[in-house]
Amino acid sequence: MPADISDEALDFLLRRAGLDITGAEKAELKEVYANIVRMAERVRQPRGRMAELAHVFNFTEDDVA
Amino acid sequence: MTGAIPTIAEAARLIAARQLSPVELTRACFERVHALNNRLHAFVHLTEERALAEARAAEAAIMTGAPKGKLHGIPIGLKDIVDTKGIPTTCGSKILQDNIPDSDATCAELLAAAGTVLIGKTQTHEFADGGPSFDLPRPPARNPWETGHFTAGSSSGTGAGIAGGLILGGIGTDTGGSIRGPAALCGIAGLKPTYGLVSRAGVAPAAFSLDHIGPMAWTAEDCALMLQVLAGHDPRDPASADRPVPDYTQALGRGIKGTRIGVVHHFHEVDYKVSEGVRAGIDAAIATFRGLGAEIREVQLSPLQDWGACGSLISMTERAAAYEEWTRTRLRDFSERVQRRLMLGALVSGVDYVQAVRRRRELRAELHAAMAGLDIVLAASQTAEAPKIDEVPAWDSFAAPSFTIPFNVAGYPAITVCAGFGAGGLPVAIQLVGKPFAETTVLRVADAFEKATPFRDARPTLA
Repeated sequence: MPADISDEALDFLLRRAGLDITGAEKAELKEVYANIVRMAERVRQPRGRMAELAHVFNFTEDDVA
Repeated sequence: MTGAIPTIAEAARLIAARQLSPVELTRACFERVHALNNRLHAFVHLTEERALAEARAAEAAIMTGAPKGKLHGIPIGLKDIVDTKGIPTTCGSKILQDNIPDSDATCAELLAAAGTVLIGKTQTHEFADGGPSFDLPRPPARNPWETGHFTAGSSSGTGAGIAGGLILGGIGTDTGGSIRGPAALCGIAGLKPTYGLVSRAGVAPAAFSLDHIGPMAWTAEDCALMLQVLAGHDPRDPASADRPVPDYTQALGRGIKGTRIGVVHHFHEVDYKVSEGVRAGIDAAIATFRGLGAEIREVQLSPLQDWGACGSLISMTERAAAYEEWTRTRLRDFSERVQRRLMLGALVSGVDYVQAVRRRRELRAELHAAMAGLDIVLAASQTAEAPKIDEVPAWDSFAAPSFTIPFNVAGYPAITVCAGFGAGGLPVAIQLVGKPFAETTVLRVADAFEKATPFRDARPTLA
């Protein structure tokens, strides 16, 4: 994953989020983007089959009553 | 009331023995509020009339019978993201300046039913995020140990109010350390309970799957007394755990001989080197626990930065989702700090979020395995003593990793207690982590530590 983000990609993401921000703010976001990349890399490590979101679908007693 | 500020436990004993009047205690708190709040900014809204009515009602009930519990007649504060019926709840934001909820949050309701006296709403970072911010309707809370210094947050006002002796206890919320941070820097005790133990209903969200509500007070014993009232199933909170609530005070004072404590040295020695004062506090705490008969072991977990990456990605995304509408329509009404953080949420992809949630499952399994032969994990709580309030970096969350977020990621209970004083006489702290729903053990160990050390005898002088 590249540690920087192009102006076009940043504009696309901001537009998608409905954000209209200043040039200075965009420059600051580009500067801190590397932190997001670093974090995203850290959560992409080899993992086992239990590492998924199944807990979202646990049924409670109320669900099955 | 004259003399020292009592703890909740001390006040409860005196009130039950009719040696302390709840009205007198409430008046003493307000005297301190009126004298100090313009320096500490702990409170954003006072409820003096209601408090005195509650105190008088408590006194009348106790004079004709017995207190309904240990919190009857005890003055407290509620963080200003906790809904209070008929009382402004602004979440520290311009956006909610006129918000007056029509019902109480569950935690507010439970504390009121226990007979507490509400002194007012305490300062918070805006929507429990960012801070300190100087562009909000009210200034940030100040650290009672040195008012030029930061309290940490986001439960900044509750921390400052307790340390300053304005209240005996209060409610904090903790998404990445917002109870334990202010507890550490303000030199008090703060418990983040197991995820789901205390209802989040009626409390503004920060990040749904990381949000915890918990007690803050001068001592761990006081946190136990508050937790007794707060814990329990609440159908209004979809994450609420339906489990029996034990007696959290029953094991206090029974000693900790044989308790197995694992120290995560690499968090504060390798992953991020803490200040000398924090390091000395941790080392001395380990020696204290050994002296009390605990077995000290070593624990190895994934690097602190892995936990931080996982927690931060989840937190940023869930927060962006929670505040999406206002981010689109009222971005400029947020403080600059929160604006920046909400903008950042746009840069995290859905895939990043899912990968973080998957990583979370593994990290939790890792902590579970590491604690198999342990009762408690001991870790640092903060990187250093409180910084100057005007020197907190704009992107502070990237400047240093969080020692508290691992236990939001895992959902395990964690308490921060004072472990001495470091540079500038400012408090330093340790963090004690238990297995899920093992708050009884966490509180017993924390209480034993506080009673074996002299740190609860010193209060800020506020000279």
